[in-house]
Amino acid sequence: MIGTTTALIGAAVLLVVILVWIRGQSASRHSPAVMEDWLTGQDDITDACPPEFVSQIFSSRDFEFISQMESVDLKRLFLRERNAVALLWVQQTAAAIRRIMRRHLEASRLSADIEFKTEARILLQYGQLRLICGALFLLIGLGGLQRLQWMALRADKLTQRISNVLREFESGAQSREMDGMQSS
Amino acid sequence: MSSAVKLVPVQEAYDDLLTRTLVRIPCDLGRLIYLASTRDYNSGNYYHEGLANRFRPEVARKALEIAHRQAFYKLSAFSLQSLVSDLEAYLQSTRENPHEFLRAWQRLEPYRVAIPAEVNLTVARLFTSNLRLALAILRYRQAQNHSSH
Repeated sequence: MIGTTTALIGAAVLLVVILVWIRGQSASRHSPAVMEDWLTGQDDITDACPPEFVSQIFSSRDFEFISQMESVDLKRLFLRERNAVALLWVQQTAAAIRRIMRRHLEASRLSADIEFKTEARILLQYGQLRLICGALFLLIGLGGLQRLQWMALRADKLTQRISNVLREFESGAQSREMDGMQSS
Repeated sequence: MSSAVKLVPVQEAYDDLLTRTLVRIPCDLGRLIYLASTRDYNSGNYYHEGLANRFRPEVARKALEIAHRQAFYKLSAFSLQSLVSDLEAYLQSTRENPHEFLRAWQRLEPYRVAIPAEVNLTVARLFTSNLRLALAILRYRQAQNHSSH
């Protein structure tokens, strides 16, 4: 009995993974060809998607407007378009945060005074953000985007928070370096 | 100090562009298309003869670049409903046949060249996606009007 249940759960998980993979492939096909280069090549942490646009992508305002038209084709087109934008945002956020963390790890290796508490907090927020991005990637398309708005805004806030902490860390390290140079 | 000296003429050129040229264009999409048209396809540099004569060419270039980016972000933040109205106003300002205009824009997607360089990719995608939807809505309305007459 337990064996059958486990097999069913396993099959369901596998199915979800395949669906997510297919959707990911389809979303990247709809994205511009430069996306991959852009996602990996951008190094400015301040060039994140402005929060008002995150809110707009996941808001119900445009969906309500489209629904008034009472056209199934328009509704379908809207959902396809908006889901693709939302998926791109998730990918962009995940790529940005990976880049930021990589930069932070490089800086931490060279830094002499690392605070355990700050590092633990950053790691916790990073884990939380990765989890939210993963969940959003799975859930976009399954339910309405509007229901995911709070998650998207939470992810956006976490990205900003981590960026700010790391920016402070970098400027602190730079000023300590300057002080050290002046004193020697 | 030096950056402040540089910023003042750019601000002046920007204000000049706004009050002399952009104010005459009746809609935001029109302003965006106009600003994109001042950019050279090969070099990506902006050029406006009048502005370059009144200010220095590099100052004019910077002012055009800033104005282009601002126009883009403003339009990208529009709700779908506002974008449809703005697209309609742009369509009327072109005096083209609405049916042909919509067909050409859906097929060629000329608005893609109106995206400035160095803007957020998600916002750029949202912009093209919203315009695609706005065009589909206008086509739908056109078909509805056609069938009711």
